[in-house]
Amino acid sequence: MILTVVFIYHSIMQLHFQHLLPTYFEEKAKDRSDIWGKDLVFSKGEMVKIVAPSGSGKTSLIHFIYGMRKEYTGNVLYDDKKTNQFGAEDFARYRKDHFSVVFQDLRLFQEQTVFENLEIKRQLNPFHPEEKIKEMAERLGIGSKLQTKARICSYGEQQRTAIIRSLLQPFDFLLLDEPFSHLDSGNAQKAMALMLEEAEKRNASIIFADLERIDYFPYTRLFNL
Amino acid sequence: MSPSYKTIKKLLLTGANTASRWFSYIGLAIGMLLLLCSLQMFVNIQQMVKKTNVRKNGFDFISVSRLITNQNMGKDNRFTNADIRELKSQPFIDDAAPLLPNQFKVIADAGNMIPFSSDIFLEALDNDFIDTIPPTFTWTEGQEVVPIIFSADLLEIYNVFAPSYDLPQLSPATASNIRISLRCEGKLGEKVFRSNIVAFSDRVNSLLVPQNFLTWANKTLEGVDSVKSSRVFIKTKDANNTELLKFLDEKNYRINKDRTLPGRTKQVLRGFVSALGIFGLLVIMLALMLFSFYLQLVIARSKDNLQLLLTIGYSPSWLSKNLAKQFIPVYIFVVLSALAFTQLMQWGFHHFIMYDRPELSPFVHWSVIVAVVLLIVLSIVANYKMVKKLLYRLV
Repeated sequence: MILTVVFIYHSIMQLHFQHLLPTYFEEKAKDRSDIWGKDLVFSKGEMVKIVAPSGSGKTSLIHFIYGMRKEYTGNVLYDDKKTNQFGAEDFARYRKDHFSVVFQDLRLFQEQTVFENLEIKRQLNPFHPEEKIKEMAERLGIGSKLQTKARICSYGEQQRTAIIRSLLQPFDFLLLDEPFSHLDSGNAQKAMALMLEEAEKRNASIIFADLERIDYFPYTRLFNL
Repeated sequence: MSPSYKTIKKLLLTGANTASRWFSYIGLAIGMLLLLCSLQMFVNIQQMVKKTNVRKNGFDFISVSRLITNQNMGKDNRFTNADIRELKSQPFIDDAAPLLPNQFKVIADAGNMIPFSSDIFLEALDNDFIDTIPPTFTWTEGQEVVPIIFSADLLEIYNVFAPSYDLPQLSPATASNIRISLRCEGKLGEKVFRSNIVAFSDRVNSLLVPQNFLTWANKTLEGVDSVKSSRVFIKTKDANNTELLKFLDEKNYRINKDRTLPGRTKQVLRGFVSALGIFGLLVIMLALMLFSFYLQLVIARSKDNLQLLLTIGYSPSWLSKNLAKQFIPVYIFVVLSALAFTQLMQWGFHHFIMYDRPELSPFVHWSVIVAVVLLIVLSIVANYKMVKKLLYRLV
């Protein structure tokens, strides 16, 4: 009985790569990579570090998991379901309840203020009350920028906005695609600490893809892409 | 908890091409007004024509004959059994019966009271078609007295020319008391009957005798078994039914024009009003198309924002519902304004043009309200579907 319960618990909320390979990659990419072409399962709570040099398909991988692109062979499964068979509404639920992301290219509403950008995400599926926006912004040093339009902010400020945005919803997996590329090490460490705290609150996993290893991310599994 | 649309609203660049949006609203209002007004006029025409026509037992009885022209003169223009069957089979004709004529010679003589004798004609018609049937209107073989139903019109004509022939004018009651002798002469023999008028008919312009008498006399005196008739009576729910008029015209049948004149007017008016309604419908379609172009433009201009909303987890169906919902109040306002104008028009029509005639209502007909509800639903559904389709393309 107990075993069954444990099995069900583990079968839920797992991310599973089945021999995943971008269609625009050659087969031999599998030989060099710990991820492409392999069969891998990630469970909630795991801290996964993916070290990926330029051109190794880091952004492609994040987009495949998040369901934004489908140019791959093999499968991405979430909760034992193939994500490439999801419909538009399935993906909306998947992104609202289970997966959050910090894109490398940030993707903010340029004409809206920092606060509006955050509130649009928060109200979709509120994990935190509205006051938390200000608290997080203060913590990452962009408290004074809340009423500034995103396009006026520096890239570093925008990056911190994107990080806070990813933490305002419930999630099982937090996907990070070079989240600190425009932050100094002090700000990056503050942001990392915030993300780790939030992941812990949700017992969630972080999949962190970056060009090189970062010391202040306490990964439990390490992969080279 | 579902997200608030207020925050999202700013992301839609609705300011684009405001002129085309307003044109579409105005177009919709005009089209709606045309459609609703013509629908209301359609109902008005229907009600007015129905009420002006006096009907008996809910049916109209019309006498139909073939139109005699120079082309068909001299040919047999009588109705065959097939013709009558065809008439009966029409959905707008409830029943049809031939007016059977006598085949023998009949001379009527009113005796001493009115020194007048004349060749007359007798006809027989199915009892169902006669408006006044007294219980005495029967005949059995061997009976000396033959009852007659006399046309009220013929009595009137008689009273017009009687003084010039030194004959007395007659009231219906007196006429009923006159003993008439009918001398019937045929190839096979001759027989004299006594007769009296048992009723007057407003409907049938003839001298009617019981059907079995005429059949018997035609056979016994003239040796004719079946008789073809030149006149057929039809029974219909509505003598002004445009389908009926169309059918009769096509068959080249002549009918009592008086009775069908309101129907003919209705035919023309209905055609005119229908054309107006169709035009209104076209304008509505154009307006909806214009509005759909406007929506497409809004969506195209806000494409990046909408795409990002979908990327961060907004549901396309929620977005399309809310985007389409935005325009519902304006749509309802436009349609209700058109309804208010239609009501005003109907009141004005009733009061100023029809002088408050009781058969018309000063209020719009319920079918107009139904049309309003249908059109609101149609516009909302059409918009929602289009927005949804466009948004799913962005996913």
